[in-house]
Amino acid sequence: MMFPVRCFTCGAPIGHLWEEYKKRVEAGEDPGKVLDDLGVKRYCCRRMFISHAEISYEILKFPKVS
Amino acid sequence: MEKNPFRVTLHVKDIRLQVLNAIRRTVISDVPTMAVDKIVVTSNTSVFYDEYIAHRIGLVPLTSETALEKYRDPETCREASESDLFSSDCFATLVLEKSNPPNSGENIVVYSGDMKPLDPDVKPVFDKIPLVILGPGHEIRLEAHARLGRGREHAKWSPVSVAYHRYIAEINVDPEKCTPDECGGCIEICPKNLFKIEDGRVVVDDERIFECTLCRICVDACPTGAIKVEWRRNEYLFTIESTGALPPKRILLEAVHILEEKINELENALREEGVVS
Repeated sequence: MMFPVRCFTCGAPIGHLWEEYKKRVEAGEDPGKVLDDLGVKRYCCRRMFISHAEISYEILKFPKVS
Repeated sequence: MEKNPFRVTLHVKDIRLQVLNAIRRTVISDVPTMAVDKIVVTSNTSVFYDEYIAHRIGLVPLTSETALEKYRDPETCREASESDLFSSDCFATLVLEKSNPPNSGENIVVYSGDMKPLDPDVKPVFDKIPLVILGPGHEIRLEAHARLGRGREHAKWSPVSVAYHRYIAEINVDPEKCTPDECGGCIEICPKNLFKIEDGRVVVDDERIFECTLCRICVDACPTGAIKVEWRRNEYLFTIESTGALPPKRILLEAVHILEEKINELENALREEGVVS
């Protein structure tokens, strides 16, 4: 789904960093360096970024059933 | 020692571990902050479920410094929340209204900054947290009610992401046993590079001793057993990393006040019961 607001393990807010991370990695920067730059220090928070799969845009194509 | 808006590291001396740990645990679970507790959704035609959006909004840290004085305590407000009474002395409201026209042809992302706070003192710490994605023709309208709460009730109210203390190492190299000319194994093997050679002797870099993780790899690497790794008594490094709801300094002060209050309460209770006089 969407990128989490907080790190699952430590609870640090990380949601606001996602778009910059994504933009810079897509521009060809090294993900590790970008995370260092954004101040994401612990490996619990770092894995949130590197392992995230953005599937929310796929879901968007389907109508909601409620 | 270290300070930025979200993180402080204190070097504390002459304090016992039990006391420091009591403060640490108070910081994590007893210092109140504001967080969205209930939301009222009037319209949600996005593909995301109301609960999913509510969960995301709940996790958004809100600025709480002035709110601590302005709003009533967590226990009172919890009861009000359970009976769905959103009184203004307990609750700060944020309004989110956003729609994507049917013929726009693009998706729009709704951010935490799109929530309009009715009380300017209680607003999202970060404006760029994505909350929902709206496809063409989708609309979202909701009211989020935030109140004071404590970390013991739900982690979203905890003012810190991490709060920890660590030992400070004390490394002694016995000059009689150490043979730097033949060996020097500790210098190479130390992951933090804490050892260096000075005047033909292996010494520890005193300024960087705080970095030692007490891994003792140097002790194992030393063939003559010259290195002894211990830690300093009643001296610790105490680190607080705030979520942004409160400044770290304020968190610490609040924690100490709350702890003090609790101890006084205990003392009064003991007196009343006649256990002590």
